[in-house]
Amino acid sequence: MMNEPPPTAVPQYADFDFELDNNAQRLPLVLCLDNSRSMEGRPVQALNEALREWTRELHDDVSLSYSVEVAVITFGDQSVTAYRGAEPLHPGMNLSPFVPAHAFTPPTLAANGVTLMTEAVELAMHIVAARKTELRKLGLQYYRPQICLVTDGLPTDGTGHYTTTWQRIVPVLAEEQRARRFRLYAIGVGGITDRGQAVLRAFAPTYNAQLQGFPFRELLQMMSASAAAEQKGEGEEAFEKIFHQFRTQRPAWEA
Amino acid sequence: MSARGSTGTSARAGTGRRVLLDGRPVTLAERPLKGGGEASVYPVEGEPGIVVKLYRERPGPEQERRLTRMLAMSPLGDRPVDSNQAPELAWPTALARSPEGVFLGYAMRRFGEPQHVQLVGLFTRSQRLRLFPERADWRFLLGVAWNLAFMTARMHHEGLVVGDFSSSNVVVDRNGFVTFLDCDSIAFTDRETRESFPCLMHTTDYSAPERQAGGPASTESDDFALSVLVYQLLAVGNHPFGGVPHDSQEDSTVKDNIAASISYVVRPEKVVVPRGIIDPTVLPPGLLTLARRAFGPGVLDPKARPSAQDWLRALDEERGRVRGCGARPRHSYGSHLTGCPWCARAAAGGQDLFNPPPPRPPAPSAPAPPPPRQAPAAAPAPSGSDSRKLLLVLAVVIAVILLVTVVAAMEG
Repeated sequence: MMNEPPPTAVPQYADFDFELDNNAQRLPLVLCLDNSRSMEGRPVQALNEALREWTRELHDDVSLSYSVEVAVITFGDQSVTAYRGAEPLHPGMNLSPFVPAHAFTPPTLAANGVTLMTEAVELAMHIVAARKTELRKLGLQYYRPQICLVTDGLPTDGTGHYTTTWQRIVPVLAEEQRARRFRLYAIGVGGITDRGQAVLRAFAPTYNAQLQGFPFRELLQMMSASAAAEQKGEGEEAFEKIFHQFRTQRPAWEA
Repeated sequence: MSARGSTGTSARAGTGRRVLLDGRPVTLAERPLKGGGEASVYPVEGEPGIVVKLYRERPGPEQERRLTRMLAMSPLGDRPVDSNQAPELAWPTALARSPEGVFLGYAMRRFGEPQHVQLVGLFTRSQRLRLFPERADWRFLLGVAWNLAFMTARMHHEGLVVGDFSSSNVVVDRNGFVTFLDCDSIAFTDRETRESFPCLMHTTDYSAPERQAGGPASTESDDFALSVLVYQLLAVGNHPFGGVPHDSQEDSTVKDNIAASISYVVRPEKVVVPRGIIDPTVLPPGLLTLARRAFGPGVLDPKARPSAQDWLRALDEERGRVRGCGARPRHSYGSHLTGCPWCARAAAGGQDLFNPPPPRPPAPSAPAPPPPRQAPAAAPAPSGSDSRKLLLVLAVVIAVILLVTVVAAMEG
């Protein structure tokens, strides 16, 4: 569905193409969000609020706003959906879901349906690889992308029953992370079970967390802090510190 | 966030932490302004003029000695002479300790937006127009480069090494004055004890190869970072190590191009450069020569790099010669060019890098890319005088292309 490089800009030079003068090294960031039925009500509201607030902060961040590119993938509502900003992309639209952070507007999500987590993670890997190819063709460099998977449940099939298909991507994810193709964050929220958390641990051995409640605001701030660390060229230790502070949900100075 | 009364040391209640600044108790805001891997910077309640940087992990005794020593120093002391100018260094003003006396970090003056903007804010048109509405033309960028070179030359003269030098930890104000923020990473040697305090931080996009390989910060590694920053300012944001090596299937970064000494400023044939990249010949010849030294032989040979003094001299020569274009606002350029390169670029179908875009054409079919935040008004119909202007601009373009060719031939 997204095998051909989607056009990201007007094909010829044009002054209204606001990315034309931006040669900054890019940082693709994918939010891979669970919006299945169990997220209904307060949780999905909290997620929407946090996305709006994070977007405002991102727009104001002089360093990140012209480097980070955001794509959103949701899994719930019987399907996996990629968003280009606030707009859901239909299969076959052939558009990249990545939007420069300064122009990003978040979708307003509703919660419903099943948890097609495996397919969502596969799509996340796919769009990251496609965007890299596209950026290389444009002569644009990129930092190591970040994928953030957030869920409160277990992977299911289209009928809502638990499925073991997630196991097929574990070796793929391990190899991709070993080759430093992206950093994967896998965050369990709400009442995620130990079984659900075991899936996230298998996906992201370094950056997984099981959190009380729905601390989406802190989660998105952690993604920004990690993006800033990546821009600075920090070593893995710095990312681990940032993640540790987030996971323990304590103020920085208590860490 | 309003100032709150003291609630003791309890932080869980949603109140910021209490710390002592040279013994004086203050309350920090609950949330940091900025948090990195190593430290977070907090506003101080009731004192908008200062911020406190707290280290994430308890700093060691050498960091406490470093900051104690820094408090006794006043580098670049007789500057600034102009009262409008902010200090060039966000120097520590007090040690921050816990109520129990444990060293946690330090206080410094706050250099925040909108008065002070990270240099990177000068590197894209929309941020320039938003953050520096009237001032940010090429003359301004050259002036900022001069101020940076001056600051660096002064620091080197006083035995200080910036160490972690980047477009994020230098801020610039409306007048183009610069301030270096992360002074606790500056490398220096204590004149009395001879203890040397190395710089342990660096930003890879500005790191010379020897620093990427783990070597210590030096005046030469500063010269490398300064060269990159000056080039970025004069080339309106373009990083000299941008571009992707031909036929690259690998992940491609600025860091890799620096390590492999691949700069399109010197070897344009080696990379696919992004569309819309600015021709290095917008730099006046004296400055272009320095850039080619820095990004050619100077990449792998620290001694071959132009020094901060070299940059300062060359920038100073050009400062008084900058021309204004007259045809469009905020267009100024080096005296080596006979026509305005920014008009030429706009006319050639590129962008006017210093002025807002014209009204957008009608939306194409399918979902349009998100609009710029300030939607322009409806498009006026082109008039006869507009097309005459266009012809004039085209003539200028051709003249500039010819000139650029001549200059390139002379350079070659």
